[in-house]
Amino acid sequence: MILRTPPPKKQRAEPILHESPSPQVASEGRLVIYEDNPLAAPPPESPHQPSDHLLCTYQCRQMVKADFIDALSNAEKQIRDYQSKLEILNENLSKAEVERKKFRDQFLYAEQELAAAKGREQMLHDQLLKEVNDSQERFKKQLETNNELKGKLQNELNLRKKAESSAASAEEKAADIEGKLTQFSQSIEREKKQLQNELSQLKGESKLSISRISADLERTEFRANCAEKESELLKEQLEDLKKQLNECLNQKSEVEKKMSSFTFQEVTSSESSILIKHLQEELRNYESEVREARKLKSSHEDIELLKAKLLEEKGRRERAESELSKLQEQQICLSNLEKELSLWKLIMKDIPGVSCPEDIPVKFATLQKEVIASTMKIGETNARLKQIEVGLDAAQLAKQNAEAEAALDKEKAEILKSEVKRIELMLSMVTEERNKLSNAINELKRHKNEEAGDEVASGTVVQELESSLAKKESCIKELERSLHEQKEINDRQHNEIKMLHDRLNNEARRIKSLDRETDRLRSEISLLESKLGHGDYSASNTKVLRMVNTLAVDNEAKQTIEALQTELQKTKEKLQALEELKSQSGDTGKLVDSYISEKITKLKEQIATLEKREERYKTVFADRISVFRRACCELFGYKNILGKNIELFS
Amino acid sequence: MASRTVAKDIITLRGSAAIVSEFFGYAANSVMFFYSILYNRGVYPEESFAKVKKYGLPMLLTQDEGVKSFITNLTAQLSEWLEAGKLQRVVMVIMSKATNEVLERWNFSIETDSHVFEKGVSREKSDREIMREIQAIMRQIASSITYLPCLDEPCVFDVLAYTDTDVAVPFTWIESDPKLIANPQMVKLHSFDTKIHKVDTLVSYKNDEWDEQ
Repeated sequence: MILRTPPPKKQRAEPILHESPSPQVASEGRLVIYEDNPLAAPPPESPHQPSDHLLCTYQCRQMVKADFIDALSNAEKQIRDYQSKLEILNENLSKAEVERKKFRDQFLYAEQELAAAKGREQMLHDQLLKEVNDSQERFKKQLETNNELKGKLQNELNLRKKAESSAASAEEKAADIEGKLTQFSQSIEREKKQLQNELSQLKGESKLSISRISADLERTEFRANCAEKESELLKEQLEDLKKQLNECLNQKSEVEKKMSSFTFQEVTSSESSILIKHLQEELRNYESEVREARKLKSSHEDIELLKAKLLEEKGRRERAESELSKLQEQQICLSNLEKELSLWKLIMKDIPGVSCPEDIPVKFATLQKEVIASTMKIGETNARLKQIEVGLDAAQLAKQNAEAEAALDKEKAEILKSEVKRIELMLSMVTEERNKLSNAINELKRHKNEEAGDEVASGTVVQELESSLAKKESCIKELERSLHEQKEINDRQHNEIKMLHDRLNNEARRIKSLDRETDRLRSEISLLESKLGHGDYSASNTKVLRMVNTLAVDNEAKQTIEALQTELQKTKEKLQALEELKSQSGDTGKLVDSYISEKITKLKEQIATLEKREERYKTVFADRISVFRRACCELFGYKNILGKNIELFS
Repeated sequence: MASRTVAKDIITLRGSAAIVSEFFGYAANSVMFFYSILYNRGVYPEESFAKVKKYGLPMLLTQDEGVKSFITNLTAQLSEWLEAGKLQRVVMVIMSKATNEVLERWNFSIETDSHVFEKGVSREKSDREIMREIQAIMRQIASSITYLPCLDEPCVFDVLAYTDTDVAVPFTWIESDPKLIANPQMVKLHSFDTKIHKVDTLVSYKNDEWDEQ
């Protein structure tokens, strides 16, 4: 301000020189226009102010004016600059406000998105919690069902064991009873057959014996007749022989006489008589020997007849003894059978529902049906057990899967929790940044009023806001991407787990079926091996034969054979003696009389013919007896093989 | 063994049948001697056995004429059935003399090569190997005393033959029941194979009361 009251002059030059550069100085410098105002004498402000002001000239004034004008122009310029700057700043401020608004909108949008993401996270968290809870509940339910199934399985196993044990015991009993029944029935049938066979044999044998006896009677009668005829013939022959002998004797006496008459000179009478005596004695001896031979022959024939009778009687005796022994055995068997019958009757009394033997097959059939039904039940229970086991295995697998899924879900929940925490942290960071931004905006507003030096700070704050928003957006995008990826991964893993689960179930079922087959095959193999070792056989392909213990029988046969052998030796010795006698009689007869020898030869021929007849009879008998034996063998199935005994008849 | 040649160890059906039937005879003698050692009941006393060398081992054969003839007749018939391919199994049964209860079964199962029987071909197997296999079985029969239960009563033995159904029953044989043991314990012994006949040996015995307890 230009003071109207000029200062003292002296003071004018100094303050003007000192205060000219700044308008404020100028305003304080107080440029005073020189006015000759003698009236307005300035108060002496300072003693040192000279009174030079009166010396200021027009130049000074012009200078001052020029300076003032320069200063004014400068000030105006400055003002204009400041105004332009202000305008620019205003524009910038408006721009900044617009951008602030924009960022604020973006911030609000980000906040909304954050809230939405938070809400979604919360929902996901809730969902996860629900799923975890559901899986836990399912897991609990499955555990409960597993426990129930285990209890049921235990019960079923116990029932099965009981049923198996009862079935095994029933089977064993039934098998025992079956075996005993079959054995007894077989033994009874065999004994019946044997008894019937023996009865028929006895009948046949009795018939045969009767027929044989009658045949023997006839034979003996025939033989007797033949013997009588033969004896008559022999008697006639004997009489003829006697007559011949007498004739021979007569002839001999005549010959002796003749010889005595003719050969008297050559041989002394005593010698001839001695010779004759000797010859007579020899004749007598020969006659006696012939008689003895005849007796021996008759006795031999008698002996043979007796032997045959003896053999027949022995055979009959043996047969009777064997039949007696058989009778005794059969009596013993009968008593055993009666005992067994009584035992069986007692057993029948014990068996419920059986009153008579005819009920036994019915009862047996019912027992078999019960056994079959129980085996079927056992099979069904086994099948059910297998199913339950399969279900249990499936439940265990499901349980394992559920546990794995629960573990996975827990892990996911933990991961999500960590993500939630991370997001919360980010949210807190974002809220902090928002607060910072709001503070910055407030500061901007404050500084906007002041319009100085705040633009840099607002720009930095705006940049910070932008960067934080960008970071948040990127975080949100990353979160969303990670969520999406995790969802995809989870879905893929679920699908893989399901596929693996299905494959596991199929493989487990296959393994179970294979195990069952191996068990069945092993049981069959063990059954077959036990049957093989046990001695079982199929009656259609195999029959069981037993060698008869002939050790006892052989002893008796040996004894009879030895007895027969001794008799044979004795008869052989006798025959040898006879033959020697015959040969002796033949040797000495040559010396005595050829006629007697002829007679003797005739007798021998007769004996030979008789022997031939005997042999013929024997061959015929052998043929007939072989036919008879063959017929007996075909009829009854038994045949006797005579080895050494045949030699007795030769 | 007339039908075997020394150079190549060729075995024919007749030779194999002779080996197998001879084995049965010696096995039966071993079983009888085993029981005679245990019981010495006087039926077949220990003194009635004579030592012979067979299969590389000292074998004991009974000298009782009755038993000898029984075994010779038995082995002759078995040989005949083996040559005809009709024999399926031979079983030696040990029974209680008092109760006729079956106490042990010595089971000899026979598998015949039907190709040899039908076509009449021969096989090759060394005698030494067959003898070694039979030796092992004889040793096992002798050592069976260690695990078979003790029998404290007199026993008798019998021989059963499992044949085809079309076999004609000889005069000294009759049909019989298989004389089985209820719930037996079984011990499988070694087997021997002549490439024509394979013989599996198994002994089954009645469970001892002490073992059951």
